[in-house]
Amino acid sequence: MKDVSFDVQPGEVFGFLGLNGAGKTTTIRILLDLVRPTSGRASVFDVDCQTRGLDVRARLGYLPGELGYYGDMTGAATLELLGRLARQRVEPAWRQSLLDRLEFAAADLRRPMRDYSTGMKRKLGIVQAFQSDPPLLVLDEPTEGLDPLMQDAFYELLTESRRRGRTVFMSSHVLPEVERVCDRLGLLRGGELVLMSPVQEVRSLAGRRVRVTFGEDVAPPATWPPACEIVEVTPRLWDLRVHGALGSIVTLLATRPVVDLDVQMPHLEEVLKRYYADRPVS
Amino acid sequence: MIGTGLVLSGFQFLLTQVAAFLMRTEAFGVLPNLVPDFIRSMAGPSMLAFMSFEGIVALGYFHPIVIAAHLGLAMAIATEPAAEVETRFADLTLARPLARRQVITRTVVVLLVAEAAVLCMMTMATWSGLACCTPADAARPTPAVIGSLAITLGAVTVCWGGVALAVSSAVRRRATASGATAIAALAAYLLDYLGRVWDPARDVSKLSPFHYFEPMSLLSGAPLNRRNITVLLAVGLLGTTASYIAFSRRDL
Repeated sequence: MKDVSFDVQPGEVFGFLGLNGAGKTTTIRILLDLVRPTSGRASVFDVDCQTRGLDVRARLGYLPGELGYYGDMTGAATLELLGRLARQRVEPAWRQSLLDRLEFAAADLRRPMRDYSTGMKRKLGIVQAFQSDPPLLVLDEPTEGLDPLMQDAFYELLTESRRRGRTVFMSSHVLPEVERVCDRLGLLRGGELVLMSPVQEVRSLAGRRVRVTFGEDVAPPATWPPACEIVEVTPRLWDLRVHGALGSIVTLLATRPVVDLDVQMPHLEEVLKRYYADRPVS
Repeated sequence: MIGTGLVLSGFQFLLTQVAAFLMRTEAFGVLPNLVPDFIRSMAGPSMLAFMSFEGIVALGYFHPIVIAAHLGLAMAIATEPAAEVETRFADLTLARPLARRQVITRTVVVLLVAEAAVLCMMTMATWSGLACCTPADAARPTPAVIGSLAITLGAVTVCWGGVALAVSSAVRRRATASGATAIAALAAYLLDYLGRVWDPARDVSKLSPFHYFEPMSLLSGAPLNRRNITVLLAVGLLGTTASYIAFSRRDL
């Protein structure tokens, strides 16, 4: 990691992105004082993560990317043990509501962890991270191994946490997930932070996709508006990417025999893939 | 731990019955003559001490397999920090307001309690075996001898537990910690053996913790050697201190 410096605002969901090996998990482990940086410092709530690590960790819940449990312990005993290690008291009603949302039956909790599937372990991991209702949640690849229904349940939980003023710092490489739940994102590449911006702004970098179908053959204009990027142009179809306002393209189309106009909002993926490939979007 | 304790306790109990059987068949008078002279001269007077009712009863406190069982138990417990790093369970616990030293302290407490419990079970088995079914005129080992043997065995276990803990605190895999400690223990045991039977190796053998494990002298009537116990416990303490330092500084 080098020159990685960022802030996460209280009450926001911050997505931390990057390809495998970019340094997402290492950054998280530095925040948790599981890994010590060779230089620089990290702080959470203005408290140094290394010198006052206990105070930092007393105020956060953590879901690791790779979960390790004692196979002989039951799910209930695991939650109880991890709950006791937290400084905040775990409210039984809150824990139960988490278990209910993630469809954990009481019988499941009585089973030893070695009998749990990958998805079950992940769900228990989510419960243990949220159960003490900490002000900050640090989640490493939170939906890895969850089925689509449980992913939805998790996203609802995140939305509710944000509504209740909790801050969420999550790493992910699932771009639609980041697009759906995050307010801002930071993108790591090769241990360096190459992008940090609100999700909406990042999406707008890609420009909207505009596909125009004509009823008869039309000639392309001699000059295209500057905000237009041509993807494909044929006599009866223009496929364009338009950055910014659509006014110039609407003016261009006003005198032409338009049959259909399809405007697609850009996906985060389109921008981020360029960053991953070391081709930043201007 | 319970399994090891039960097996070793059963062994202790059976040894009292073996000793009683040998006494009833008057085998103790014959056994020393069956041992070749060179072995007797190599083993010294301790050989005679061993071939007695008292020696057979006490065998379970210094038999190599029993020592290996104790060391195995100590290693299983002391390598828990490495196991928790390996399985990533440490990520869950240490992401909470739990100081790293608490992981080591917990391990040390469990190690001491487990060793004390196993030794307690063994001594109880010895005394129940002696009390219930041995000849009244047998020269039974005194409580002081059995207690000293148990303390010596406990000290050597704590010593190697400390070594295992130190290794475990610095590596990422339990197998690495267990393997390294087991190899070191084996090498130390063989070094001590060499030192006892071969004069040129005597000085070097003082580097082996097993050099300070002398159950035979206790059987011969010598009092508990406090210097030996101190050395063994000091090695264990050194290992424990090293583990506190290593575990608090390492990346997990």
